[in-house]
Amino acid sequence: MSTPTTPALLTLDDLQVTFRTDGGPVRAVKGMSLDLRAGEVLALVGESGSGKSVTSLAIMGLLPATATLEGSISLGGEEIVGRSEREMNSIRGAKVGMIFQEPMTALNPTMRIGDQIAEAILNHEELPKAEAHERAVALLRRVGIPEPEAKAKGFPHEMSGGQRQRVVIAIALACKPELIIADEPTTALDVTVQAEILDLIRSLAEESGTAFLLVTHNMGVVADVAHRVAVMFRGDLVEVGTTEQVLTQPAHDYTRRLLAAVPRLPVAGEHTPSGIAEGSAGATPALSVSGAKLSYRVKGATIHALDDVSLTVAPGEIVGLVGESGSGKSTLGRAALGLIPVDEGRVQVLGTQMTGRWRNERAERKVRSRVGVIFQDPGSSIDPRITVGQAILEPMQVQPQLAPKSRADRVARVRELLEAVELPGEYADRYPHELSGGQRQRVGLARAVALEPELLVADEPTSALDVSVQATVLRLLGELQERIGFACLFISHDLAVVHQMSDRVAVMRRGKIVELGPVDQVLISPQEEYSQRLLAAVPVPDPAVQALRRAARWEGKHGDAA
Amino acid sequence: MSTTAAPAAASRQGRGGAAASAWFWRYLAKRVAQGIAVILIVTLIVFALMHLALPDGPGSGVLGMQATDVQIAAFNHEHGFDLPVWQQYVNFLGQIATGDFGTSFEAKRPVLDLLAQRLPKTLLLAVLAMAVALLVSIPLGVAQAVRRNKPFDTVMTAINFVLYSTPSFFLGLILVIVFTQWMHLLPATAPQGQTVAAVLAKPQGLVLPVLTGAIPIIATFSRYMRSSTLENLGEDYVRTARSKGTPVNRVVVKHVFRNSLTPIIAMLGYYLPVMFGGMIVVESLFNYPGMGLLFWTSAQKSDYPVLMGCMLIIAIATVIGSLVADLIQAALDPRTRGALK
Repeated sequence: MSTPTTPALLTLDDLQVTFRTDGGPVRAVKGMSLDLRAGEVLALVGESGSGKSVTSLAIMGLLPATATLEGSISLGGEEIVGRSEREMNSIRGAKVGMIFQEPMTALNPTMRIGDQIAEAILNHEELPKAEAHERAVALLRRVGIPEPEAKAKGFPHEMSGGQRQRVVIAIALACKPELIIADEPTTALDVTVQAEILDLIRSLAEESGTAFLLVTHNMGVVADVAHRVAVMFRGDLVEVGTTEQVLTQPAHDYTRRLLAAVPRLPVAGEHTPSGIAEGSAGATPALSVSGAKLSYRVKGATIHALDDVSLTVAPGEIVGLVGESGSGKSTLGRAALGLIPVDEGRVQVLGTQMTGRWRNERAERKVRSRVGVIFQDPGSSIDPRITVGQAILEPMQVQPQLAPKSRADRVARVRELLEAVELPGEYADRYPHELSGGQRQRVGLARAVALEPELLVADEPTSALDVSVQATVLRLLGELQERIGFACLFISHDLAVVHQMSDRVAVMRRGKIVELGPVDQVLISPQEEYSQRLLAAVPVPDPAVQALRRAARWEGKHGDAA
Repeated sequence: MSTTAAPAAASRQGRGGAAASAWFWRYLAKRVAQGIAVILIVTLIVFALMHLALPDGPGSGVLGMQATDVQIAAFNHEHGFDLPVWQQYVNFLGQIATGDFGTSFEAKRPVLDLLAQRLPKTLLLAVLAMAVALLVSIPLGVAQAVRRNKPFDTVMTAINFVLYSTPSFFLGLILVIVFTQWMHLLPATAPQGQTVAAVLAKPQGLVLPVLTGAIPIIATFSRYMRSSTLENLGEDYVRTARSKGTPVNRVVVKHVFRNSLTPIIAMLGYYLPVMFGGMIVVESLFNYPGMGLLFWTSAQKSDYPVLMGCMLIIAIATVIGSLVADLIQAALDPRTRGALK
């Protein structure tokens, strides 16, 4: 790490970005001043709309034409605001590299991996193509891609998300830039892959002296790699300081609120396990899955989405379901709703077997009226053409026997439900696009509980939301659960959220449940090797603790190899 | 055409020649089998339609108004049109299988001879029209996308809509009025002649038929190319390319162009039969002695053997066209190659 006496590599001085919109100018960044030194990893944190991504695009000179930029950005002592497009092209890629959030779409699908990396080199250096390709292969090796020669000839769709993100990093590194801007580089990745990418970023900063401006909303990521943190709130820079300082003794009120909203996993020994909710033994389980198998074929290979899965959710119990992408947790959620029939085994919801067969349809329909569901993306799970009130009313129309009879009573019930999720009753007449993401998810919650379900399936209900919004939605979900007393299958990749919400938790991997038990047992002192690895990969938002966890994980990984 | 595309697509796979070509030939065999099935179904449908149009056989249409019922019955009997429909169909299939397409009632010549003479000329016209259309519409669509909502884009969009909504016979007439009657630049009739060489000897006569065929396609394809390019310009990989320092124009040429072209190529194969429909109008308008004109005159005179022959050719063209389009697409977009296997 560099000392404060080194001159700044990047200096932002009173940077302001304003967007022209139909509704008048919008100030996205309102006077931001910041320094970044060589070899330093500076995290830029904040919630959506805080201006952190706009700041990073401003440094790259890649803001859309509707944006106007004021103030100064200087890189290595040279002003870059107001440079021509031509001059900016000689800076982009050569002096500043960029890593993006979504590795699945960040690469050109029809261009060979090697060519995409070589292009970055050939843009800035005069050298034969063959040599650029050799360097591309070397870069792939450097970012930890196995068989780099073969992969260089391949295409992006042949790689996993983590590998693609490594390729994007290789492109950013290609001309040894002094600064790399990483905009949410691990947000779309699984935690174990995230940990590897963060290791890579840390080693690049240490070995090459590359400075990183790391844009993220994940405080665990910040604690893991950042030296310093800058907190943004609605276009203002509210706090800058060392990671230690900002995460443990935040000075600004907003930072404190932000950190308080981050769900945390308690550390073993520091946490007294709460009493396990007494599952009413003997009563019909809300959900009972036994020996469920489900497989499908993709390009000739058979994928076992569910491989002999057994799980029971007692009435009033919340069971968390965790696992990485492709582990089968969403498939299990859908099978539990009876939306996809299983190949083998049994799925019983509130005592009724869900077969997906036509002759069983009446019984299954009846049972579904007692089941609520809430999905990840609040933007696309509510019909954009109907009002919020109509969306909440719909389950009552589909299952009239469970709903108030008169129209006036139903409208009153909609208001009641909206107020239960802390939205004003007048919102019933609004359309989904007039609401924020968090408000829409609260509408989704109101709709899911409209018929007072006995079982709620929540599939990543807060994954698309900012932490402070997530905290509200989780609190409301908890309150409603207490009042209505429904059982809940809570699916999430976020272990801390699952710990906060659930009584018991199941860890899934490759279609199998590898560990199942009370949350405190599974998520604090897991027994299975995979659960331990998963847990170790989650960065915690405390730099001192995270440093220890990182060291332990590193030792575990490399100790095995030795 | 498919045979030249084959090794190209196979070698692009780049995973050792022998293994790569094995799956390719398997794929090709599967597609050919599917194609034959499609062609059989097409003949069945066309056969049924013709029977529905003239349930008593084509005799009255071929022999004209003056023919007596006895003469019509004799004609239908002679050509087997008095047999049950299924028997007629089986006979027809048997004939086709031996390579006999029958004899034209009107020209009294084997259908195969007629087609051999007419088809190359229509192909010439169609290929020229398609080539002109692609050469104009693809760069036009890209240019419009890059300058979206600027005056150039707005004007071209307006012109495109006018051309797209103009029926091609009307468009052809306007071209004739402008280039023949006013400017005296080009002839209003296509070159007459038995062979392609004879047609090519007077190339100026081809200009108006080719333009009439090409303009509606230009209007359609440039629209598709524009929206396809616009969609790709918004993709994340464009941002990645720009972050490497690649200038915008080069991003368009090196990255966006190929990705935008794929959906257009996919459409191209399905456009072949549509083009044949267009050729009927163009050939009638300019009296061009191709298959379109043959189809048109045969339809008027109920010349069943010729009509069936033309329909078969169109069905075959459709099958080959979609196969070629899929192969070109596989060559352009590596993600679609997996689907071939």
